[in-house]
Amino acid sequence: MKDHLPESTAPDRRHSTGRLWLEVLIVALAGAVFAFAANGISPRGLMLARNYFPAQINRPATAPGTIAVLRDLTKASLPVLSPVELLAVRLKEQGMQLLDGGQVKQLFQDPQFKTGNIVFVDARDETHYHEGHIPGAYEFDPYYPEKYFTNVFPACQAAKQIVVYCNGGDCDDSESAALTLRDVGIPVSRLFIYGGGIPEWTTNGWPVEIGARNSGSLRRPNQ
Amino acid sequence: MNTKPTPLSRVADNFAVLARWLLGAAFLYLGLNKALHPVEFLKLIRQYDIVQDHLWLNSIAAALPWFEVFCGLLLLAGVAVRGTALMLILMLVPFTVLVFRRALAIKSAMAIAFCAVKFDCGCGNGEVYICHKLLENLWWLILAGWLLAGTGQKFCLRYSLMPSSTTNRSME
Repeated sequence: MKDHLPESTAPDRRHSTGRLWLEVLIVALAGAVFAFAANGISPRGLMLARNYFPAQINRPATAPGTIAVLRDLTKASLPVLSPVELLAVRLKEQGMQLLDGGQVKQLFQDPQFKTGNIVFVDARDETHYHEGHIPGAYEFDPYYPEKYFTNVFPACQAAKQIVVYCNGGDCDDSESAALTLRDVGIPVSRLFIYGGGIPEWTTNGWPVEIGARNSGSLRRPNQ
Repeated sequence: MNTKPTPLSRVADNFAVLARWLLGAAFLYLGLNKALHPVEFLKLIRQYDIVQDHLWLNSIAAALPWFEVFCGLLLLAGVAVRGTALMLILMLVPFTVLVFRRALAIKSAMAIAFCAVKFDCGCGNGEVYICHKLLENLWWLILAGWLLAGTGQKFCLRYSLMPSSTTNRSME
């Protein structure tokens, strides 16, 4: 390609470099305008002012993804607390309680579940919810709460116990969902987190509901 | 000045156009993958601990994927090619450093070989082995550097935003 380029003097090169940086600046500015406009238009766009992680924005030493990565890489014990232990510590700080699978199953079978005194809230995204959730659980993606408040808020207001779950392990979306509910006035004493989440529920062979809430389409995961 | 291009330079020109399209398509694809799942991307970049304020975190997660899409489109269309290539280099270098540092942290925590580290770096193509990712980024950097050197001028809508005597032959 060298034979395409004319011989240039030092001032020419400086001028050319200046033009290049100016072009970079234009690309950067135009790109930023495009990017924020696209985010604003996109139905999945983020709201810039919202704190999507109300519990604690950064937990680098015990970041959920880090734990996921580490867990995937090896089965060796981690030099940090387990995700469930971490969750228990955080929930205690927030005044909420952690439930295990047995306790959740008891609540699921409690007659009060049928009357709405006990409510289950699924804090995963829409796709995962529709793939299978605890039967009767409300859909509540904490990253798009306004989409679900109409259904979830009255149910939670009327309930005495609200069990929130997500993907278990290092997933902290259930925590975020519970805190979002707390922030709109649901008493924290009514909020419980199912630490094992849907993976534990399905591993135990307990029923899951496919599609919308109360769709009636039930299956056992191992079937 | 107006020397006739040699067959070799013509071949190199054509490859440079392919490189521009490849780089553009890659950034378009990777950017869209993130832009269509902004919450997932937000969660991933949160792990890098680069900013403390949620406004900054949200802004990065919201804008970066679309910015990559924008750069990809510019390269595909052949607009501001050198400026875009330099912009990509300016983005790729710090991204690569961040990914490398994170991989080192995981390696230390797990006491495993560096190349055995596999994680979702938020780069738009899911979980990847770190060595593959670093090589991939190096590859993109080479392509961007090649375009920055002034190649890939064929089939450009507007090769340079500020045409000069060295670039106004872009539509040849």
